[in-house]
Amino acid sequence: MSAVQEALPAVRSSRDATVRRFALTDAIFHATTRAAAILVLVLLGGVAISLFAGSWQALSTFGFSFLTSESWNPVTEKFGALAPIYGTIITSAIAILIAVPLGIGIAIFLTELCPRPLRRPIGMAVELLAGIPSIIYGIWGLFVLAPFLQTTVQPFIISVFHGIPGLNGLFAGPPYGIGLLTSAMILAIMILPFITSITKDVFDTVPSVLKESAYGIGCTTWEVTRRVVIPYTRIGIMGGIMLALGRALGETMAVTFVIGNAHRISTSLFAPATTISATIANEFTEAVGDLYTSSLVALGLILFVITFLILAIARYMLMRIDARTGA
Amino acid sequence: MSQMLSPDMTIAAEAVTKAKIEVKNLNFYYGQSKALKDITLSLPERSVTAFIGPSGCGKSTLLRVFNRIYELYPKQTAEGQVLLDGQNILDRSQDLNLLRTKIGMVFQKPTPFPMSIYENIAFGVRLYEKISKAEMDGRVEQALKRAALWTEVKDKLNASGLSLSGGQQQRLCIARTVAVKPEVILLDEPASALDPLSTAKIEELIDELQADYTIVIVTHNMQQAARVSKQTAFMYLGELVEFDRTEKIFTSPREKRTQDYITGRFG
Repeated sequence: MSAVQEALPAVRSSRDATVRRFALTDAIFHATTRAAAILVLVLLGGVAISLFAGSWQALSTFGFSFLTSESWNPVTEKFGALAPIYGTIITSAIAILIAVPLGIGIAIFLTELCPRPLRRPIGMAVELLAGIPSIIYGIWGLFVLAPFLQTTVQPFIISVFHGIPGLNGLFAGPPYGIGLLTSAMILAIMILPFITSITKDVFDTVPSVLKESAYGIGCTTWEVTRRVVIPYTRIGIMGGIMLALGRALGETMAVTFVIGNAHRISTSLFAPATTISATIANEFTEAVGDLYTSSLVALGLILFVITFLILAIARYMLMRIDARTGA
Repeated sequence: MSQMLSPDMTIAAEAVTKAKIEVKNLNFYYGQSKALKDITLSLPERSVTAFIGPSGCGKSTLLRVFNRIYELYPKQTAEGQVLLDGQNILDRSQDLNLLRTKIGMVFQKPTPFPMSIYENIAFGVRLYEKISKAEMDGRVEQALKRAALWTEVKDKLNASGLSLSGGQQQRLCIARTVAVKPEVILLDEPASALDPLSTAKIEELIDELQADYTIVIVTHNMQQAARVSKQTAFMYLGELVEFDRTEKIFTSPREKRTQDYITGRFG
């Protein structure tokens, strides 16, 4: 009894020391992780600020007409971003149009119909598509896909649509092989794995008893998918599409190879064009004047704002489906 | 065991009406493991049959054989015969979608589809029938009335099915099942996720529905089985231990295991 009481102060003081030591290490731990988190914000802010600063000269010289002018003339130093913006949006939009049905189709097959032994190989093949470096898509597009389109597909389509009002404008001109449509096709292949894997994941969140009850009133797989699975996961699918769109908008290397790099707005999908990222990649080395450089940075700023908005919308949509499945 | 029981089972069936579903020597496997062992029983038409037994005894599995919903999953196989009006539904040639319109199912958790209350009911009807808007309105109203939900939702038919309370959602699911005019309704613990008041409403509903439908209910709740069913099957470890009129099962069961279970000695 008394021995215990005598030992108490010693125990207490050693415990106090331990607590103090823990408090110190804990404080260091807090500070380092917080610093790491803040670093991300600083980087993001830094990128935004330097883009603003770098593009200031171009934006103040051309004003709003930078967004609406099509001319891009390094000799007279008249720059307008409309052609690259047009190219970026059109190639991405067509890529989405091609990749979304394909990706959702793959996801439906994998989650609802695929025999179990095939599920992993197909799923992995799709994921591997995402792992191929974009430069490989670029050379493949330039040396394989473009010549193939030029010699077979494009002449055929041009002859088929020749003389049909509206469509003949869309598929007109000499078959270059490279151009808007070819870029869009390469982009579609590149974003396919994103759409597929996100769609597959959100399809897996559908409670099996909900599917069972749809099958239970006599639905076919098509009806269950169309009326229950897709409506239930609509927000998540939209989120996946947005993420893929963000990727397509910013893709540089593969597009630079096959877009044709022409600052022109043409109604024909076979015509060479350019995108924001392809323009920057192509012209940075030859941009001699300050105004030229500043205009390229301004293009970068525009892309930054577009992709930032798209990704923000995507995150918001994915957050909403998470909240619902959590409830 | 089951051979010994079979005379009693037919007595239970004959006491009411003709058999709607006859199960003959049914075995069911989850991969290698056998979940149902040589089940033979016959369910009379237009009456409520309850399956009771401890968790894992195979009562839900047996229910899931009747509309072959188990086929959505690989490695689940059934052997033997299940006759619906004399037709073997386990036959390969049986059209599954057609079978499932004849045998409706309601699950433990309410599962409204992600659409409006009206559409939840119209959806299933539209799959197999082409009817006018006016007729459809009638069918939806009729189904909701049958499920005792009409007065509560008639002013918000366009609201999402998910906006209803749990008990209302479950009644919506029953309405949806009734609307496609099935012959048999399978209920897999339909009230286990509901409060006592909603449970009472569901039980009342089951009682009314048996005038027109053959109903099979799986339940953990023995009082519920005693309240709503005409015959009760007690299952244990994949075997059918005893099948008889409900009052017989709950007052003077023949088997010791049944006696032990209903008096709460195990399970």
